[in-house]
Amino acid sequence: MSALLRSRAFRDVAVVIVVVFGVGSLAMLLAHVSPIDGFGALFDGAFGTRSELAETLVQTTSLLFPALGIALAFRAGLFNIGAEGQLILGGFAAGWLGAQFPLPGYLAIPMVLLAGALAGGVWGAIPGFLRARFHANEVIATLMLNVVAFLLATYLVNGPLQQGGAGASETATLPKAAQLPDLIADSRLTWAFVIALVLAFVLRWVLQRTVFGYELRAAGDAPEAAKRAGIDLARTAFVAMALSGAIAGLGGATIVSGVLHRFNTGLSPGYGFIAIAVALVGNLDPLWIVVAAFAFGVLQSGGVAMQAEAGVPRDVVSLVTGLVIIALAGRRVVSSLRST
Amino acid sequence: MQAVDGVDLELFPGEIHALVGENGAGKSTLAAIAYGAVVPDEGTVSADGVVGLVHQHFKLIERLRVWENVLLNREPRRGWTIDVAAARARVNALAATYGLAVDPDAVVETLPVGIKQRVELLRELDREPSVLLLDEPTAALAPSEIASFFTTITALAARGTAILVVTHKLAEVIAYSQRVTVMRAGRVVARHVTGETSADAIAREMVGGEVPALAARAATAPAPLLEVRGLSAQSATSALDDATFEVRAGEIVGIAGIEGNGQTALADALAGVVPFTGELRFDGEELRPTDSPAARLERGIRVIPQDRRHEALVLSWTVRDNVVLGRQRTLPRAAYGDAAREVIERFDVRPPDPNAIAGALSGGNQQKVVVGRTLAAHAKLVVAYQPTRGIDIGAAALVQSRLIEARNAGVGVLLISFELDEIFACADRVLVIANGKFAGAFERATIDRGRVGALMAGHA
Amino acid sequence: MNATLAAILAILGLTLVKATPLIYAALGGVLSERSGVINIGLEGILIAGAFTSVAVSGATGSPILGALAGVVAGMLIAAILAFAATRLGVDQIVAGTGLNIAALAAAAFGLVLVYHQPGASHEVPALGNTGEQVLIVLAFVAAAALQFVLARTPWGLRVRACGEDPSAAESAGIDALRTRFWAVVIGGAIASLGGVFLSLAELDLYSDGMTAGRGFIALAAVIFGRWTPLGATGAALFFGFFAALQYSLQRAGVPSELMQALPYLAALVALAGFAGRVRAPASDGVPYIRP
Repeated sequence: MSALLRSRAFRDVAVVIVVVFGVGSLAMLLAHVSPIDGFGALFDGAFGTRSELAETLVQTTSLLFPALGIALAFRAGLFNIGAEGQLILGGFAAGWLGAQFPLPGYLAIPMVLLAGALAGGVWGAIPGFLRARFHANEVIATLMLNVVAFLLATYLVNGPLQQGGAGASETATLPKAAQLPDLIADSRLTWAFVIALVLAFVLRWVLQRTVFGYELRAAGDAPEAAKRAGIDLARTAFVAMALSGAIAGLGGATIVSGVLHRFNTGLSPGYGFIAIAVALVGNLDPLWIVVAAFAFGVLQSGGVAMQAEAGVPRDVVSLVTGLVIIALAGRRVVSSLRST
Repeated sequence: MQAVDGVDLELFPGEIHALVGENGAGKSTLAAIAYGAVVPDEGTVSADGVVGLVHQHFKLIERLRVWENVLLNREPRRGWTIDVAAARARVNALAATYGLAVDPDAVVETLPVGIKQRVELLRELDREPSVLLLDEPTAALAPSEIASFFTTITALAARGTAILVVTHKLAEVIAYSQRVTVMRAGRVVARHVTGETSADAIAREMVGGEVPALAARAATAPAPLLEVRGLSAQSATSALDDATFEVRAGEIVGIAGIEGNGQTALADALAGVVPFTGELRFDGEELRPTDSPAARLERGIRVIPQDRRHEALVLSWTVRDNVVLGRQRTLPRAAYGDAAREVIERFDVRPPDPNAIAGALSGGNQQKVVVGRTLAAHAKLVVAYQPTRGIDIGAAALVQSRLIEARNAGVGVLLISFELDEIFACADRVLVIANGKFAGAFERATIDRGRVGALMAGHA
Repeated sequence: MNATLAAILAILGLTLVKATPLIYAALGGVLSERSGVINIGLEGILIAGAFTSVAVSGATGSPILGALAGVVAGMLIAAILAFAATRLGVDQIVAGTGLNIAALAAAAFGLVLVYHQPGASHEVPALGNTGEQVLIVLAFVAAAALQFVLARTPWGLRVRACGEDPSAAESAGIDALRTRFWAVVIGGAIASLGGVFLSLAELDLYSDGMTAGRGFIALAAVIFGRWTPLGATGAALFFGFFAALQYSLQRAGVPSELMQALPYLAALVALAGFAGRVRAPASDGVPYIRP
């Protein structure tokens, strides 16, 4: 049985490689750049030097959090397309509260991270509640809420909760105590990376070894059978969406606390969407998702260099990401479609 | 093992030919091959004209109308649009020709099962088939409807159509067919002219020996367990109306009825999946309509659902994880392995591997897992809804025996089944359900088959 | 004409303009979902239609050719989803999401390739006021036509059959996979006109992100319209009205972000109110795998 899984997984990995290199090369040729130059610049930019590798790991971390959240929701049979909005609001809560209420070091960081998780959790709980109570399709709800999240954060940061002076569109700089310490000196890589790794292991353990994880997986894999086995589907959906949002919000908080040291509305180049691809490539398994997050981290950080050095627009990375999602859409047929 | 292995079959115009075999023998697959829906790996299929197939589970589109279903893909046209008036007229003409009255404008999902079957029949008849295949056509019909159905079929045969009836109901085979072919494990094991054989002989050929005997019934002292008063409930299209009965510990109460007469509403209300009105008392305490399924499980009420693939098992999981399902909160993790092995052993699950994926098991073995885990949970009341649906005779006998043994040990069993033979073999008392209402009660010693059949059809 | 009447007429006019792209997208969504395929990729189809029509109009100097090219582009994008959904049997929502991401990126990439600048294209020959009015009227005509086709034509019946029960449809001799494929592709053609309207009728250029989630609002319109063309059109008008209010309320001092959020919030509220009480086609979103 495990052999069967492995072969299907390898086939999927092969598909991903073909899409990335095949379509990527095609796009590079259209941009009048040789694929060798283009991919060369990409990989060189991703881990050519130590600081570039650190930056790749920064991207990996930023993707890993929302991907873990999305995977958790997927395992429960739900599609959380709202990770982007949850991440943004989590980042905002972290940035604003951290600057507004300075605390000593050992309190500041936990508070900031907790704030991000709570904000993301609430934003995820809304579609979770709509699903549990009204059987509303969480896909459309989370799509709507993504836009609303961005608008809400923009409004708050420029208006009533303004910290940075008018027109700054960002919160005040976080006090040092609230900034996650660096993992590699003189880089943007912080302990957030370690937190993400630990979270991946914890999630795997929860899914495989706890009753909560058992019931969540049952709700996702066979909802009718789960219901009759005493599992409360509505409650599971609500909790799964809230947790998923909390993890994404935590990710936003780590970006604010570790990378930017403040919140601004541009903190995410679409991590919440790229993370969907990461979750699928990782086959919804937290440990494989770490690997997938690294792969996409390479694309993200390398893409910047690819544009600067070889003149290939960064959009090629997003294009390839979207196609990977289509190619791996067979990985999981989500049973959430039984809601309206 | 092949689903169908080296089968030769010939049908002649004007005959009713029965194809029998137990579940899993390959009859439905053979019918699908004959129809052309399935392409055989080897061999040929040839027919002199159109072949029609009426499926066991109708292939009708519930939300469309009768005429839309009957004439789907062959609609009469007027320019670019469908000529609805002509469509209605054609359906009415068909109905008149074959004596199968239907309302062309009715929406199929509102129709009772017997009428739905007529619609499916008309759809095939409109194609003027020279061969008509019928897969378990009387599974959902009342005894009186069965007679009327075979009248139609006999008339069809008289007009020259070759008819193949795939069935496991030997009484009907003897009564209505001219020739019978018996299949076992994918092969043809016997062919007879119906008049020259008997139901017993066919049954032995179907099983390849004697039908396994069931466990012995011990004397028990039934004690009050479940009291139902005025229970009404609704589950999707199934409706239960004002049911009053009892199930005692140490007895098997059989609910006899035709599919679609409220059984699902009853099972789902007891499972806590749908709300109910009326009174439900278990072990002296009242059960509330707002209870969740978890609450019912906690009290010791376990339901074996009708559809093991969608309502009982997680097909992508291992046997072990499936055995745990329903006890995940009470069974310690360390005991999972033992629980799985216990069920596999007691119920002869094959392959005997806790790590086997449930979806890869045969229907019979899947059902054994479901029944096994239910009984291993030491429930006080077991509601077994079609516990031997679609499984081979050997597995069915084992399941029924385990239910009897549970009854011997003091468990109360409510057996809901569409197979009268199963009810009669297992039940201490028989209740009849028809149109959502309970219509009669019989003790084991004094069961009157004819009366039960009449009550099932809704005749007082 | 007094000022209030003028203001009301202005809002009504603006409602029509705001609703038209939604109507086209929603009609495409209705056709697709009635056949059983949820098309989350409507946003990507709008983008494809918007970008391609501008690029071709700029290259050929003919907005009509541009519009046609936009429709073809929409059909091609829809065909990708249709293929993945029917022949490969993948999760339609996941595939649609990937399609949106890819389409947005492809358009951004295209901007750099064709116009050597990110963010927005140059101005191109557009359809102008006449074109705008024609497309608005055409949207309503399309709605009525689609309603008629679904209800009264043989192909419409086949589409509906595939959306309810593809297995039963196949037993009647219908090729469910091919029917679904073409329903999605033709739906894509209709939806792409929404994108063409945005870039070539309302404006005369393409800018990154101009579709602004309209494809998703259209999905909500499909639900509230109970999966009927006329119903979805009504819902689209409803959402368009909220978008039209945006400017007036903004002048009245309501924060601009709240105004921009109005259509999405309206969709959310209506989703909570409607969901569970309306029935989608029975096999909507369920991949059909031939046994």
